[in-house]
Amino acid sequence: MTSPSDPSAPVDGANGGIQPGRYYSRGIPYLPIDGYPGKLIAVEGTDGVGRSTQIQLLREWLEVKGYGVVETGWTRSPLMQPTIELAKSSNTLNKLTFVLLYATDFADRLEKEIIPALKAGFVVLSDRYIFTALARAGVRGIDRAWLRTLYGFAIAPHLVFYLNIDVKNLIQRVLATRGMDFWESGMDLKTGDDIYDSFRSYQNKLLKEYASMADEFNFRVVDARHPIDRIQDELQRQVEAFLEPSEKPAEPALAR
Amino acid sequence: MTFSLLHATDFADRLLYKIIPPLKAGMIVLADRYAYTAFARDATRGVDRQWVRELYSFAVKPDLVLYFRVPIDVSLDRLMARRVKLKFYEAGMDLGWSNNPVESFRLFQGKVLDEYDRIVDEYGLEVISAGESITEQQRLVRSLISRQVATTNAEMTDDEPL
Repeated sequence: MTSPSDPSAPVDGANGGIQPGRYYSRGIPYLPIDGYPGKLIAVEGTDGVGRSTQIQLLREWLEVKGYGVVETGWTRSPLMQPTIELAKSSNTLNKLTFVLLYATDFADRLEKEIIPALKAGFVVLSDRYIFTALARAGVRGIDRAWLRTLYGFAIAPHLVFYLNIDVKNLIQRVLATRGMDFWESGMDLKTGDDIYDSFRSYQNKLLKEYASMADEFNFRVVDARHPIDRIQDELQRQVEAFLEPSEKPAEPALAR
Repeated sequence: MTFSLLHATDFADRLLYKIIPPLKAGMIVLADRYAYTAFARDATRGVDRQWVRELYSFAVKPDLVLYFRVPIDVSLDRLMARRVKLKFYEAGMDLGWSNNPVESFRLFQGKVLDEYDRIVDEYGLEVISAGESITEQQRLVRSLISRQVATTNAEMTDDEPL
């Protein structure tokens, strides 16, 4: 994943070592994915940045255009969600088991949701992708090279949108909606008892981790401080430009 | 993949709570199976060999690894003598190679043994023939461990005075 850029690759900051729609590294030998018609689009960004809202809108827009859409999201695997919730509440999780539980959840969704959907030609919208795992674990001091090897079985998305925000705006947005929570404030890192200070310092580090991955993983960076509609327009414009040249879906039965 | 990662999670938990603390205290830790079991089982299930090895790179390298090698028929006889039903995953039934548990066990464990043979060379495991009598095996185990403990003890220096 650190291979130098292929000179024939597009110059918009693209990493030539990554092939969208293929495994990042060694992949899953018993699941060959070459030639699957579906598309994988990841929307990344820190907690409370507005990912879910944007995905909801993207989904409706794509479906109206006639695409089949499947959504997947972090820790939503039926196999692992109860285990992860239990482990979080029992105080026995350490950094390493935390990372491995997340990876298991991701592997389950990859095998049982994402790959079958790509095979069947769906557009898969992923609310967060492996970058969240890499950022959270990186902040917690887990070896970055090991993490990238671990997630070498993941599929490189066709598009990765990164909703970028600064800590000041993030704090105001989170406080105006649901408030700060224990994990999103990195309280497990025990940097202090004050949730506000902890949130600020933890999210600052997370944002730096995400930013450091932008070139490595070909993020398309979107300014998340803009109004919802404007962000959505930007996403739709880029998704359309990407999907347009590929096979078009059946036209909706009724033109409106 | 999930089978592999769940076992790695369990292993990480035991490593950090049950293995590393006694090692720090200078104690001897006996591990019934280690990462090598995962290398053999996961590769047989079609997971990339190199990936599993790198996944477990957080593990402590054992001072001594004993591999009890047994022919399939002997292990099947022993298992069947103790219980009628072979465990689903132990027989590799999840792979769908055969609907007959005994047949599936034979196919799956045969490939697992092939993987172990690779690992023996790769990581220098001490092979003990599990076809020998228990007394004979134990004699060999004791001699290997005594030799290991003798060399390790000589290196221990961090005892604090009372």
